[in-house]
Amino acid sequence: MRPRRWQVTVTRDRTDPARPEAASASDSDDDRVLVQACLRGHREAFDVIVERHQRHVYQLCYRFAGNHEDASDLAQDVFLRAYRGLHTFKGNSAFSTWLYRIGVNVCLNRLGSRAQKWTTLDAADRPDFRAERADARLLRGERAAEVRAAIARLPKKQRAALVLRVYHDLPHDQIAEIVGTSVGAVKANFFHALANLKKLLKSQS
Amino acid sequence: MRHLSATEFVDFIESSGTLTPERVRHAQTCTECVARAEALRDMRTAALDDEEMQPSPLFWDHFAARVSAAVRNEPAPAPDMSWFRQPAITWGSVASIAMLLLAMAVWRATLHAPAPVVSLATHASTSDVVLPVPEAAFSDDVDADEAWAVVRAATIDLNWDDVHAAGISAHPDDVENVALELNADERHELARLLDADLKRKGA
Repeated sequence: MRPRRWQVTVTRDRTDPARPEAASASDSDDDRVLVQACLRGHREAFDVIVERHQRHVYQLCYRFAGNHEDASDLAQDVFLRAYRGLHTFKGNSAFSTWLYRIGVNVCLNRLGSRAQKWTTLDAADRPDFRAERADARLLRGERAAEVRAAIARLPKKQRAALVLRVYHDLPHDQIAEIVGTSVGAVKANFFHALANLKKLLKSQS
Repeated sequence: MRHLSATEFVDFIESSGTLTPERVRHAQTCTECVARAEALRDMRTAALDDEEMQPSPLFWDHFAARVSAAVRNEPAPAPDMSWFRQPAITWGSVASIAMLLLAMAVWRATLHAPAPVVSLATHASTSDVVLPVPEAAFSDDVDADEAWAVVRAATIDLNWDDVHAAGISAHPDDVENVALELNADERHELARLLDADLKRKGA
C-alpha cells in the first residue's frame, strides 16, 4: 500500500507537564503537513490533529466553562470551527497558537453572557489526594473551588491572560498572538487578573 | 523612586530578567512594592494549586470519535484561493485577457469589413483595362505568407485554458482554419492591424 504523505509520527506526549512548551518546531511542521493534507481532501488527517491537540483544547475550555459537560461541547465546537476555517490558517504562527485563538474566542463568546455551572468531575476522575489527610484534602478542594469561582468572575481579557499563563504556561508573546494584543497589554491584564483575584477571594471569604 | 508598573511587577514575580538592576533593587527594598509582589505571588500560587482535572481516559476516544463524526457531516474545507488575489497575478491575468480580447476584436472587425472599393471610373473608357492587383493577392498559400506570420506569432503562445476561462470558445486550430478562408488582402489587413497594435504596446 502506498504510504500516505501526510502521515506523521507523534514523537512525544504533548500533555507532558514536564515539557510545557506549546509546540516545538517539528510539531509545527507536522501540523502544517496535516493541515495541507486536510485541504487536499484527506479528512483522516484532521483526526490526527484532534488527537494531538484535544487535551490542550479541552483543558482550555474546562478553565473557562468550569464543568466537564460544557467543556467537551466547547472543545468540539473549537475543532469544528478550526476544520471549517482550515484554509485561513496561513502558517505564520504555530498551529497550536491558531487553535488556541479559536478556543479563546469560542469560550469567551459562548460563556461571556451567562454564568457558569461550576462542578467537579466524578470521584474517579479527580486527582489522587489519598496521601493527604482528609481535612487537608477538604480544605484544598474548597480553596480550589473558591479560586475557580473567582476566576470565572474576572473580566474576559484578564481571565484569558490568567488561564493561558498559569494553566497553559504559555509565554506572554504567544498569549499576545492568541488574544490579539501587545505583550505589554497581556502583562498588564495578567497583573490586574491576579490583583482582582485577591479582591474577589477576600470578598468571598 | 517610582513604584513598579503593572508590567514590571509581572516581570519581577516571574524573574524574567528584563528589569534593570535599579528596578530590581527598588522592588526588593520598597515596602509597598514588596507587599504587592508578595500578594501577586500568593494569587498565582493559589491559582496553580487548582490542579488540572483529567477526565477518564475513555473520554478521549469518545471525544475524538464525536469530533470525527461531526467533521464528516461538514463539507470539505475549501482550498486557499488567496494566491489568486495577489496583485501581480491579478494584473497579469487582466492584461493577458485584455490583449486577447483586443486581438479578437481586431480580427473580427477585419473579417466583416466591406471590401475595398476600387474605382473603375478612370478606366471605364478603355476596354483592355487591367486592374493593378498585387502579386500576393493571388497567393493562397498561408504558410508562405510572411505577413500572416505576425498573426501566427501573436497567437502561438496563447494559453488556451485562459482563453476558455475568459469565456471565448476558440480552439487552437480555429485561427488557421479562419486564415484559410481569408483572401490575401484580408490577411494583409489583419496582419497590419495586429502588427501596429503590438508595436504600439511595445510587445
